[in-house]
Amino acid sequence: MTLRYLIQKEFLQIRRNAFLPRLIVAFPVIIMCVMPWVMNMEVKNIRVDVVDNDRSVGSQRLVRSIETSHYFIFQGQKPDYRSALAAIERGQTDVVLVIPQNYSRAIACGQRPQVLIAANAVNGTKGSMGSAYLSQIVTAKAMPSAAALQSQAHTFLLYNKHQNYKLFMIPALFAIVMMLMTGFLPTLNIVGEKETGTIEQINVTPVPKWAFILAKLIPYWMIALFVITVCLLLAWLVYGITPAGPVWLVYVLAMLLALFFSSFGLIVSNYSNTMQQAIFVMWFFVVCLLLLSGLFTPVRSMPSWAYLTTYVNPMHYFIDAVRTVFVRGGTFAAVAHQVAALLAIGLVMAIWAVQSYKKNG
Amino acid sequence: MKQFISFVIKEARHILRDKRTMLILFGMPTAMMLIFGFAVSTDVRNVRTVVVTSQMDHLTQSAVERLAASEYFTITATAATPREAELMIRRQKADMAVVFGKDFASKRTGLQFIVDGADPNMAQQWTNYAQQVIANPQYSIVNLKMLYNPQMRSAYNFVPAIMGMLLMLICAMMTSISIVREKERGTMEVLLVSPVRPLMVIVAKAVPYLVLAFAILIVILLMARFVLNVPLVGSLFWIIVVSIIYILLALSLGLLISNVANTQLVALLLSAMVLLMPVVMLSGMMFPVESMPRVLQWVAAVVPPRYYIEAMRKLMIMGVGVGAITKEVAILSGMTVVLLIVALKKFNNRLE
Amino acid sequence: MNAIEVNGISKRYGKVQALRDVSFSVPAGEVFGLIGPDGAGKTSLYRILCTLLLPETGRAAVEGFDTVTQMTEIRKRVGYMPGKFSLYQDLTVEENLKFFATLFGTTVEAGYDSIKAIYSQIERFKDRRAGALSGGMKQKLALSCALVHSPSVLFLDEPTTGVDPVSRKEFWEMLLMLKERGITIVASTPYLDEVSCCERVAFLDQGEIRGIDTPGAILDRFADIFNPPGLDKAANSQSPLPGSQRDNVIEVEHLVKAFGSFHAVDDISFTVKKGEIFGFLGANGAGKTTAMHMLTGLSQPTSGTGRVAGFDIRTEYEQIKRHIGYMSQRFSLYEDLTVAENIRLFAGIYGMNDQTIAKKTDELLKRLKFTEHKNSLVASLPLGWKQKLAFSVSIFHEPGVVFLDEPTGGVDPSTRRQFWELIYDAARRGITVFVTTHYMDEAEYCDRISIMVDGKISALGTPDELKERYRQPDMDHVFTYLARQATRSSD
Repeated sequence: MTLRYLIQKEFLQIRRNAFLPRLIVAFPVIIMCVMPWVMNMEVKNIRVDVVDNDRSVGSQRLVRSIETSHYFIFQGQKPDYRSALAAIERGQTDVVLVIPQNYSRAIACGQRPQVLIAANAVNGTKGSMGSAYLSQIVTAKAMPSAAALQSQAHTFLLYNKHQNYKLFMIPALFAIVMMLMTGFLPTLNIVGEKETGTIEQINVTPVPKWAFILAKLIPYWMIALFVITVCLLLAWLVYGITPAGPVWLVYVLAMLLALFFSSFGLIVSNYSNTMQQAIFVMWFFVVCLLLLSGLFTPVRSMPSWAYLTTYVNPMHYFIDAVRTVFVRGGTFAAVAHQVAALLAIGLVMAIWAVQSYKKNG
Repeated sequence: MKQFISFVIKEARHILRDKRTMLILFGMPTAMMLIFGFAVSTDVRNVRTVVVTSQMDHLTQSAVERLAASEYFTITATAATPREAELMIRRQKADMAVVFGKDFASKRTGLQFIVDGADPNMAQQWTNYAQQVIANPQYSIVNLKMLYNPQMRSAYNFVPAIMGMLLMLICAMMTSISIVREKERGTMEVLLVSPVRPLMVIVAKAVPYLVLAFAILIVILLMARFVLNVPLVGSLFWIIVVSIIYILLALSLGLLISNVANTQLVALLLSAMVLLMPVVMLSGMMFPVESMPRVLQWVAAVVPPRYYIEAMRKLMIMGVGVGAITKEVAILSGMTVVLLIVALKKFNNRLE
Repeated sequence: MNAIEVNGISKRYGKVQALRDVSFSVPAGEVFGLIGPDGAGKTSLYRILCTLLLPETGRAAVEGFDTVTQMTEIRKRVGYMPGKFSLYQDLTVEENLKFFATLFGTTVEAGYDSIKAIYSQIERFKDRRAGALSGGMKQKLALSCALVHSPSVLFLDEPTTGVDPVSRKEFWEMLLMLKERGITIVASTPYLDEVSCCERVAFLDQGEIRGIDTPGAILDRFADIFNPPGLDKAANSQSPLPGSQRDNVIEVEHLVKAFGSFHAVDDISFTVKKGEIFGFLGANGAGKTTAMHMLTGLSQPTSGTGRVAGFDIRTEYEQIKRHIGYMSQRFSLYEDLTVAENIRLFAGIYGMNDQTIAKKTDELLKRLKFTEHKNSLVASLPLGWKQKLAFSVSIFHEPGVVFLDEPTGGVDPSTRRQFWELIYDAARRGITVFVTTHYMDEAEYCDRISIMVDGKISALGTPDELKERYRQPDMDHVFTYLARQATRSSD
């Protein structure tokens, strides 16, 4: 079996490399230990400045309720709107609440005084969430009857009941680790052999194309297996997060993603002449796949043309499926179509990888 | 001087001849701008919503109509029981359900949201938005004003971040690789032994990348203005001045990397690990630095793009004067000077 | 005044002592040869003299300037061509030359005279990118770049490795012209005829100078290394089967390979018989490597037919690969695998099983007296050993034919001789050997040779036949005679 010797060679080369074995072990560990803390899009610590033009008992009560809220960091009062705006411009505060004159009196008379909430909306999420919370507090204080509707509304969360952002992000991190480990390393592989010239020696041997490519792919699948195990263990040990669905399904999904990325890496490698070129091309595709996958932002917020790309984006299928398994406790039936799609895309890529390797130029 | 010019021409040829890399260099900003500007957004939109109601009275009817009319929600189904709606969410056919209780019309109570909470952020925003839509806006005493970005488009937030990332990447990564390539191929030996001063070699190498970075900066600004309709409210002069400081900083980082690395592979990996990862993760580009643990905030404090992105957000989107960004500019300039001095001090006139 | 003064220079890299107490001096205007096997420390010495490395102990001065303290002065005055001189692959020939000319503060026009002899050969390709040139042509361009300015001291680290004999002669004629102008030249070379062109040579071995003297005296004193007894061809020759009765292993008719309008291989026909050692000679860029790529199934011919080991090179190239061995110009074993692992890999590819591989590996290593290095990384071996190993690996599966593309570039005569003993050994076992080389003494070892000029075969026969036909005393002269008729210079 020729394949066995070729695979052995690939493993030896990886092991001999001064850098790769360390990278393979350290990378998932670092990513898993640091990234969940970083990739936190939770909006916290919104800073509020208040301009109180009323200075009545009623307005003081409103200010105090903001002060005591855990959601906001109350920065204090500003004399007028202009100086509050200046604070926003200097980046010292995020939201400004302006209480109009005669606020208390108007409330007492049953009128509707207009309380101004001005939010820095450069970061739209932060601006909208901060102002929404603030307006809830204001409404509740000023018009208990109108607030009734909101306070009565009861939200029932189906999954992730503790609203743990890490639970949402960690499965997605698996995708990033897999992508970097099984995507970029194979990309460098064949170009590397081209640059040292050893590929010519292989090309004059009777090695079948598929065997050569498969021998390059298999080690990365092994690495993928190792990496995903490390990731699962760390998620459990460090964050106490375990998949709600079956673990084997996570493995199946991970291996299918590895099939795609390793094949894709080799394709890029086959078409490139230098490592720099290969890395740049790979990087370009990877960033696009990643951004359009729904890892960071919901895919449904995309315009329809961008949403269409998710049908051919394996990252999207993986992230969708792995979150379903991890967070929502989905079983095979729940992710069957994602598995099928990943398998199909992976196989097409693998065949392309074999096809694009030319022994006879 | 003649030597210097011929050096710059040579370097420009290297860049121009590598068509694929050129394509990526200009394709990358274009693609990123389009993706970030149009495709990637954290906006609440098209949330698949199931309405659960037992009787359609007037009040419920108008609430549902408001939901359907808003761009945030798409009513995909109506269900008779909450159980049924929950099943739909579990089957991933819907994201949230709005349950109007029996007493909704009479007592205005019994409103319930069933939400797929996998993404806590979005779950929270969905319920916020739904509440606002359902509550009759006429009741509101709050006058909301979204400063700088009234439509709350993510593009406003991302454009400065893309600039920070791409300029860093192109200047630092490309310069370091091109210097290391000469080491690897052996041409560096000849250059060093030539009568040309080594410092000139480096400066000449940096010039084309500076021009390239500048071209890319212009492309990004033009696209931001005319394709993404992001207003450039601030002073263009200061935008360019701050960008030049930042480009210089990136170039010195690239030079520093090229001193350490001996092969292109190492230079690539170093740039990717030392530059790319921190820039994407710790610069506040996607993830707010304030939400990170204290230790990571300290680390983020020394990531240069963070200040550049912050300054650009203020200059471009908020349109503040230079006075409001003195802190960022001072930090960036300081970092540039220090890095440049270290890089030049460390530059090897010999092979070891 | 001495142009170069070296006093007690030592240099080590980690555990390896590259140079140990080296001292010598070179008077201004001398052509000084630096010879020694691969890994002797020549490159380190060059780099120290060029101020690229700092010596650990000792002092060196070039043109009276100290290499440690007066770096800038030296760099203004010296020219250096590193052993692995790399051009800018993506610049054209002319752009490379212009760049280096400007770099040294001169112009191509001003320096044209000193590079004319060599540059004129590649001038017609001036718009081609350096990366697209053949190996020998790159070397010629590199030489032109190194010589375009006239420094007062010129350091040349194996400048002619891989260059054909005619161009080497022209190169040395140019060097002697430079000497006339008072330029001091320090050059290293593995070619004996070039060693003889030097006024004095130093023999460097394992970081130490073994002797400095005139070329004749050095070559005499170290005759076992530089002048090994020639191989006895008669004793090694084949069983006296008349040529016509043996089978043809390679048959080529009207083979053409065109790149656009350029015919790299232009209608060649020849046959090689079983067990023959066939020398495939030609100037740089005459089309040797291109032809070899077609025969080994690495590329498709444009027209013409060919059969190797009974298979058609056009359609059955994968079967051909089963029956041939190949050793490429660029060294072709995996440097990050050990000796045994390399053997195992290539044997495995050809379908041998583990027991056979283990047994044959031991036999091979014993025969090569290599057993102690079984588990050494290939990267750590000297060049000559790598070459022997690469050859042994390429015939490990007992192929019918083995193709060797300049297998002995850059090593000393005694190592080359050992390599040829391996070739004879293989031929005795019935393996046909198809070899290209720039060493004309090696050409004499072949049973038959062909000489390619401008993509065509201009001579074919046994060495004796050719010498007789062209009335030349040896192969060197035959080659020079034929190659000088070339109209297209190269590639």
